[in-house]
Amino acid sequence: MTTITHPAPPTVIEETPSGAVGRRVPRHDALLQVTGRVVYGDDMHAAGMLWARAVRSPHPHARIAEVDLLPALSSPGVRAIITGRDVPRNRYGFTHQDQPVLAEDCVRHVGEAVAVVAAETLRQAEEAAARVMVRYEPLPAVFDPLEAMRTDAPRLHQDTNVAEHIRIREGDVEAGFAQADAIVEEEFTTGFVEHAHLEPHAGLAIPSPDGAITIYSSVQRPFLVAGDTAKVLAMSQNRVRLIATGVGGGFGGKNEMTFEPWIALLALRTRRPVKIVFTREEEFQATTVRHPYRMRYRTGVRADGTLLARAVEIISDCGAYVSWGASTLAKASIHAAGPYAIPHVKIDGYLVYTNNPVGGAMRGFGVPQVGFAYECHTDAVAEAVTMDPIAFRLRNALRDGGHLPTGQVLERVTLAETLRQALEMAEWRREGRAS
Amino acid sequence: MPSEVSFTLNGERVTTAVEADESLAWVLRERLGLLGTKIGCGTGDCGACTILLDGHPVCSCLLLAVKAQGRAVVTIEGLGAPGQLHPVQQAFMEHGALQCGFCGPGLLVSAAALLARDAHPSEEAVREAIAGNLCRCTGYAKIVEAILAASKDAVGEQSR
Repeated sequence: MTTITHPAPPTVIEETPSGAVGRRVPRHDALLQVTGRVVYGDDMHAAGMLWARAVRSPHPHARIAEVDLLPALSSPGVRAIITGRDVPRNRYGFTHQDQPVLAEDCVRHVGEAVAVVAAETLRQAEEAAARVMVRYEPLPAVFDPLEAMRTDAPRLHQDTNVAEHIRIREGDVEAGFAQADAIVEEEFTTGFVEHAHLEPHAGLAIPSPDGAITIYSSVQRPFLVAGDTAKVLAMSQNRVRLIATGVGGGFGGKNEMTFEPWIALLALRTRRPVKIVFTREEEFQATTVRHPYRMRYRTGVRADGTLLARAVEIISDCGAYVSWGASTLAKASIHAAGPYAIPHVKIDGYLVYTNNPVGGAMRGFGVPQVGFAYECHTDAVAEAVTMDPIAFRLRNALRDGGHLPTGQVLERVTLAETLRQALEMAEWRREGRAS
Repeated sequence: MPSEVSFTLNGERVTTAVEADESLAWVLRERLGLLGTKIGCGTGDCGACTILLDGHPVCSCLLLAVKAQGRAVVTIEGLGAPGQLHPVQQAFMEHGALQCGFCGPGLLVSAAALLARDAHPSEEAVREAIAGNLCRCTGYAKIVEAILAASKDAVGEQSR
């Protein structure tokens, strides 16, 4: 019988009152960081390892007519090449299973991977990748989500490019507008943002003699990536071991599976460890970005500054695949009315496929986009009833027991108090206006 | 065509085979096994690969390894080790100047080069010295704070 002894439970909680709080405490890995000894994805090496390099589409939308691997297979140092046909279950996604591990019939954005080469050296992998002959038949592409919503737009997946429609309703928004003394309508747009973590996506797969695989990868969600990798490889979960390396910046950009199944397949096929590091160009073209939003706000307000009704329409450009787009839009929609008490609310969020880069998770998960819009809009609404924007916010701020348009009741709401303290610290004054 | 290059690396003479078009960053990492120097872009934009070449900060991803022939190279590994940290390494730890840490080796090397030529830099001089080192996490405030603190510590030592 084996006795497993557990280490004593951490004593951090007891130490906290007299220990860490109020003191500068170095990060647990600070000494490793300042001496350059943190092991990131690109720092992983294994004896006899091969280097992988992806073959990527130069087209935003095209049918793949033919893939000829022969010239690349005879290129020096090449040990294996995989395409979508080598992926046992070539489809994945969190909410929408719409994304292939490697494109098979068609590519839907510039930089989408079609094949992956493994060779003895990085240089040989690069040279061989350039010799993979893919014959594309370009298809009409769409880059503007408004155009993509039209019935005559080129379609990416099914009969509509609207991948998701999120609706939130509270009260009767038209009745609210009817009672309003002023109605303010504005449109806001935000652009793409690349996470640009300094460390590119990088990792190493090491095969076991029994056909199991260990993958080291610079990821923020190792368990999700391990699960997705096992799924697409049709392997049982316990045979795919994923170890997160140090992450040289993520910001949401390393929140999903990317190359893990590629290097796993190549390692299992060649029985050699396989390493990959994305180039900066690949980071910009082929990994996720922050979704650009187009947001239309319409708000009805009484002359005394009481908010009555708000209608919001959000159009999110999700790019070629949904990835985190639906969850991001859901969060954005929940927050879209802002932290204000409004009796009549109507929110419509549309997630729209385009041939743009795939949108994913990024710091704030959709909320920075709507936050930018509703705070700009709040100033305009205050202006419409000639109120000081601070006084206007304090008047309408959600308080304890208040609720979001979804019905979620809020506790310990400190918005008004935080705003007052911030004004004090900033020594905010407005001549001739009470605040 | 493989050739050979010899230079001083962190105070020790090294000789290694290199390809004519290999960068010093690649040779340090892949041939000499010094993984502290990071490659973030490969085009001299991010500064993560900064090393000292005869005391001057240089993007090692832009420098052909053969150009290091006969010169003195210092990497993060040569700046200071646990127990004998460079003041700027100590200050980065104390001021929480790093988050993910990937820009750290390049930033620390740039900061050390600044303090070697100017023991009392102004904040402007500090910002100028690290202008070629991108950090995507911190917003730079704590980094600048740490470098200024390290310069004050150095001043304290000199007056002792």
